[in-house]
Amino acid sequence: MKKPDLNKIKKLAKDFLYGKPHGERRLGDLYEPKTGLYKHREWRGVKDTFYYFNNIWLYNYGMMVADIMKYGGLITFAKGVWRYRWVGQSYLPVMHWFDRGLEGVRGEALRASAWHYRAMVNQTIDQFMRMFKADQNIGGSKDLYDRTIAHDETVWGGVFYPYRDQLDDIPLQMIPYFVTCHVNNHTVLNYIDATQALGLPGDPCPMCQAECGLMILDDEPDYYPAFITTNEACDASVATSVIQDWMINKPLYAMPQPMQFDDPLVQEHCAKEIEGAFRFIEEQMGVEFHWSELVKHLEEQNELQRFEWEKWDVAANTPYYPITGTAQALYRIYQSQRGNRKIWHDTDKRVRKILEKCVEQKIETFPMTRHRVIAWSCAPLYYSHWCTWAYNCWGLNCVINMDSLMFDMTIRTDNYDDMLLDMARYHEWAPMRRMAVGGMQHIFELWENMEKFHCDMVMMYDQLQCKGMQGVHGLFEDEFRARDIHAIWMPHSLPDKRTVSRAEIRQIINDYMFTVMQEEPLDPSLLEFDDGEGW
Amino acid sequence: MRDLKHLIYFEDLLQEAHNELVRKGKEDGNLALGYTCYFMPEVLLDLPGCFSVRLRAPRCVSPDMATYYMSGRTCHYGRSLFERALEGGFNFLDAQLATETCTVTCRFQEHLKAMPDVINNVKFKVSFSDVPFKKNENSIEHYEKQLQAHVLDFLKSEYGVDTSDEAIMRAIIAHNEVCRIIREIGDFRKLDEPTITGYEFAVINLVSMCCPKYLIIDKLRETLEELKTREPDQRKTYRCKVLLAGSENDDPEFTKLIESCGALVVCDRYCYGAVEAREPIEIREGETPLRAVARHYLLTSQCTRFMEQDEMRYRKKRIAELAKEYKADGVIILSNKFCEYWSYERMIDTIVIPRDYGFPVCSIEKEYINSASGQLRTRFQAFVESIEIKKLQEGAK
Repeated sequence: MKKPDLNKIKKLAKDFLYGKPHGERRLGDLYEPKTGLYKHREWRGVKDTFYYFNNIWLYNYGMMVADIMKYGGLITFAKGVWRYRWVGQSYLPVMHWFDRGLEGVRGEALRASAWHYRAMVNQTIDQFMRMFKADQNIGGSKDLYDRTIAHDETVWGGVFYPYRDQLDDIPLQMIPYFVTCHVNNHTVLNYIDATQALGLPGDPCPMCQAECGLMILDDEPDYYPAFITTNEACDASVATSVIQDWMINKPLYAMPQPMQFDDPLVQEHCAKEIEGAFRFIEEQMGVEFHWSELVKHLEEQNELQRFEWEKWDVAANTPYYPITGTAQALYRIYQSQRGNRKIWHDTDKRVRKILEKCVEQKIETFPMTRHRVIAWSCAPLYYSHWCTWAYNCWGLNCVINMDSLMFDMTIRTDNYDDMLLDMARYHEWAPMRRMAVGGMQHIFELWENMEKFHCDMVMMYDQLQCKGMQGVHGLFEDEFRARDIHAIWMPHSLPDKRTVSRAEIRQIINDYMFTVMQEEPLDPSLLEFDDGEGW
Repeated sequence: MRDLKHLIYFEDLLQEAHNELVRKGKEDGNLALGYTCYFMPEVLLDLPGCFSVRLRAPRCVSPDMATYYMSGRTCHYGRSLFERALEGGFNFLDAQLATETCTVTCRFQEHLKAMPDVINNVKFKVSFSDVPFKKNENSIEHYEKQLQAHVLDFLKSEYGVDTSDEAIMRAIIAHNEVCRIIREIGDFRKLDEPTITGYEFAVINLVSMCCPKYLIIDKLRETLEELKTREPDQRKTYRCKVLLAGSENDDPEFTKLIESCGALVVCDRYCYGAVEAREPIEIREGETPLRAVARHYLLTSQCTRFMEQDEMRYRKKRIAELAKEYKADGVIILSNKFCEYWSYERMIDTIVIPRDYGFPVCSIEKEYINSASGQLRTRFQAFVESIEIKKLQEGAK
């Protein structure tokens, strides 16, 4: 009888207990062809696998049901699912969205990142259930309808802080468009097509096209008597307001922000427009301005911001940052845009514990990092989890991204005038806008952020329909060469996967890593696979 | 109709941004101040010792260098301007008075700022103004402050230009005189049998934007006098009248193309058109000249970037009102490829204007330089035919 190979047994036992080491995982072999679904779940070692199953998979499924019950109940939810195509299409794949974003992640990074996902799911359910409860299309409560105001998703939720004890503010497109296309990238295509079918050319920003399509196809709940729009982030956003007004036909207040926001002269104008929004809310909704409510929320929001700075500090200066590039980007943009909510504080509390543990115990959360990457410009919504893939396949660790660095300030609350000016500035620094308008010096803040976060590579998002970014393409090329920076241009079409597929994006990164960087993949099974039909 | 005496001269002036009169204006010791957008009031760039030049890039068919910098997926107009700048065609400019009003022209102007070597003129500087998105009192105040700081103070401190109220008043008076002449010329298009073609008017209006006004005004006056006695052709040379609305268009050849298909262009409600640009500036009681300028440019503009609910709705009505005033049979809505503002506006106008106001609409997407003339010709011919059929059907009733 052949003597058992003790080393092999030890290795098997070790892999069973702790999971295979990074280079041996072959995560690509887990996929069913085309679908992106798993043949079986990833074995992450005993502790992490059970953590994933219990504390992430099971817990979040449970919470998704609990949140539905808490925020309105199954009947309301079922009515919404029946009436609006985006709900059903994106509710069931939620856990697959977790899987994609947390693939290959271990230990503290798995835990901290998953809490970010959990918070986003909670806020998503909170919002769409409020929409449904007040929705006149499905027999929702008229009282709630009268106490819910809508706004464009690029309007910062903080504008409504003075009234949060009297009404709720729900963005028009955050859930039906923004969140759904992260979870299920097929969902928005229908809306884009609907807009183009009316005669819009294919070249304007597809985000705005998708937002218009929601209204054209009457796939927006009717949950509000009035709404507020803005010019963020671009020409197409402004133009979309015309469609909004046309389709919605309800009182609208435009709250534009100045473009040349460095100019001290613009702040007063901006502040007055915010005050105009206050007046509009009061007139339309019959509510009163509550200073104490505003201060309470702003101070709580400042707390969130201060913790974000601590997170950036760890991300910039240590290898112990326990949050994936995907979780960092999505949570930050979601949280800051939505404004102060209890769930963000609960999450930050949990994440702080993990973060502190990582720093104290010097836990390297992404130990196979070969390059620290900064992602710049606006990201492909249908492939926000590219960061996880890039780390697993190539050791590219996306430490920070441009959208995270927006809203980089706290707001003074000691007097009304300063508070208002800070609110103006805060709104001017919104996602997709802080770096994109007001002069090229903003977009070239990349260089100082690269230095600050100790990054040696740039993932340069190349949103093919973003006129602002396309209009500065050549200068970036010149600067990359002059500064000897490795930058990978990642072409994409924001929510529209048909223009550049996920597989094409991966191929571009693979090509760069092989030919320019002359490196070999950590996990070759991830080089090529077809997830074109996957969520 | 009899040929206009100065038309060929005007046409020649439009062949280059740096034309004969711009050279003469510089030789006279004036500053040449460039701008691209209605929101940069040309009247403030025509202060004593300066003249305004609304930038164009005629005959720029292949903006290869600019495409490297701005990619092939941005508006051809912005790229063509930058191409012309890179070629040295704007070296005569002493300053660019810029606005961040649409993304790609803004990027063009930011390139001029970021790459100071592009304009080979040691004096050259760029100054940006912020332009509001609404027409309320807050916006007028804001706009006035911006013009004061980034136009007047800039011109005074950098170039020693006299920016006093008296100087602005003089500029307004001169500007209003040009407006009066152009409007009177334009009014001939309102006749039942217009005595000026859309092409001729486009050329005349454009030279007034691209040349020093003091050097062109005599010829404009002469043209106006000439038109007063001009007789329409005995036999109608057009089959219908149309209003042309839409995004940036500084190419009279495009108007000529439309007219060659049988549609006389009687009104021009587009960027570089005359409808708003040649309305005289009125100074109301108690207003400073600058305040009047700020109010005038903000309130007269029909730009699609205005976001107030009533403004968004009024724009469509305004096109219909103009079509009625100029006795147009139909409306052509154009948008430049990659122009996001007008892509949306065109889509909506194409539905709303026929539905709510009864004017047939031809919806066109074009390049800055009209390279797809065959396809466009077919579209215009079909549109003219459809208007004729409609008229026949209405006659039958």
